[in-house]
Parts: sequence; structure tokens; C-alpha cells
Amino acid sequence: MTTEPAAAEPAAAEPAAAEAVFAALADPTRRLILDRLSRRGDASATVLADELPVTRQAVVKHLAVLDQAGLVTARRDGRERRYRVRPAGLEATARWMDGIAAQWAARLSTIKRLAERAERPERDPA
Amino acid sequence: MSEDRIEQEIVIDAPRERVWAILTEPEHVGDWFGQGEPAQIDLRPGGIMRLDHGEHGTFLTKIVDVEPPRRLAYRWASGFPGEVATETNSTLVEFTLAAEAAGTRLTVVESGFTTREPAPVPSADDTYESHTGGWAGVVRALKERSEKLAV
Repeated sequence: MTTEPAAAEPAAAEPAAAEAVFAALADPTRRLILDRLSRRGDASATVLADELPVTRQAVVKHLAVLDQAGLVTARRDGRERRYRVRPAGLEATARWMDGIAAQWAARLSTIKRLAERAERPERDPA
Repeated sequence: MSEDRIEQEIVIDAPRERVWAILTEPEHVGDWFGQGEPAQIDLRPGGIMRLDHGEHGTFLTKIVDVEPPRRLAYRWASGFPGEVATETNSTLVEFTLAAEAAGTRLTVVESGFTTREPAPVPSADDTYESHTGGWAGVVRALKERSEKLAV
């Protein structure tokens, strides 16, 4: 009996993308930056640095990590780059986590079925 | 701070000892966490549980904690088939078995998706963390808010 349906496994590319997202979110400053961006809509590194207890240089580095993880996008606005949150990047990770949770739910259901079957053997009383 | 964890639970109409057997005995583990063949299990802390996940590979899960019939924990390097699970390449899977009137409440928690980069304690003004439910909550809250802005 196979209880590990291949179709329920996350696609090969998704765990790697999710790993990058988790690594990006592991830093509290980057979470704050995302939080600020998601409240403001978009902002430059200079504006973010004014609001946060870090230098503009540090903000630029954090934005690069977030960009790499697909969590923000940037566009040129005169001499500045303005950043905004990229919902699609978050969507992939949310989906990936839902997939992991669903796999555990399926495994627990199988455990339940096995345990309850073992507890009440379906034998005819001879 | 919020943990990077996924939690699921189920109530089973069987005593804890029975559920423990399903969780730890090779032929049962092969059924619910393998391809049907009995799994090789060295059931002790530091022991290896070998899981055959077919096309996804074989996983050398390292057992962390064995407390029959209430707790079983192991490290699972789901991204590294063929490699022994270590603290840096794996997540921690913890099963808790609680006796209830109706049988057993079985809870599983998988955590440590971010352990490759330790998560520091957030600053005091980072109240955003306190009212979200783990990473899934963080991700969803950000997503919802940014989608509202995008409309």
C-alpha cells in the first residue's frame, strides 16, 4: 500500500523557493521592511532607513535578499529605486506550507485508520 | 517570536500503546510513511529510521527522542534524500500522544524550516509578530495586506 502519493508532494522547484523565502523572513529587520512596504505600498531604501533603526546601506542589503527571494520588486523612479511587496512570492510559500500541512493530515488519517483497524480486527467471530 | 512550525492533530479511537505501535513498528511505518515495505528502524535516540519514498528517494531520518507511549521525535532531511538528517539539513518532526476518554489525541509538529539561518529575537516594537500565528500567519498577513494595496 502506498500512502505517499507523488501528486501530493510539493513540486521540486517549490521547496527551494520556499527555503529562500524562509531564510529571507528569518531576519527581523527584513520582516520589518516587508511590513513597512506592505503598509505603504512602496518605498525607497532612504525612506525605509528613516523609519527603521538601521542604516540606508543595511536596508539596501536587506532589500537585495528580499528581491532574491522574490518577495519584493523594484522600479526606477528618477534617481531612486522604489520597492514594493510581491504577493506572488508569498503565495508560493503559503501554498507550499499548505501542502506540507495537507501531507501530515493525510498521514495522520492513515495512522488513525491503521490504529483503529488494529484495535478492532475485522474478523468474523467463528 | 513566532515559530516556523506546522501542526496537525487527530483523535484516534485506540489506546496510546496501539498508536505508538503504528508510529514506531517497521511494518506500520512502511505503510503510512513509506511505500508499503517495512521500514528499517533503530528505535533509540541517535538511531536511524530509513524511509523509502519511492521516486523521491530514501530518507535517513535521525531519531531524537523516544518516550513510549507519549512522545517520538526525529529529524527528517526531506530536501536531502540519501543523507543522514543533521541539525542543519533537516526539520524536526515531533509526535505527541495524549490519552483521552475517547482514545488518543495524536499531534504532529514539523518545525525548523528556518534553522539554516537562526532567527534572532525581534525588536520590542515588532508587535506585528505577536498577533500572527507562526510563519504561515506572517506570510498570509503580508500577502493579504499587499494584495489590498495592489488592487
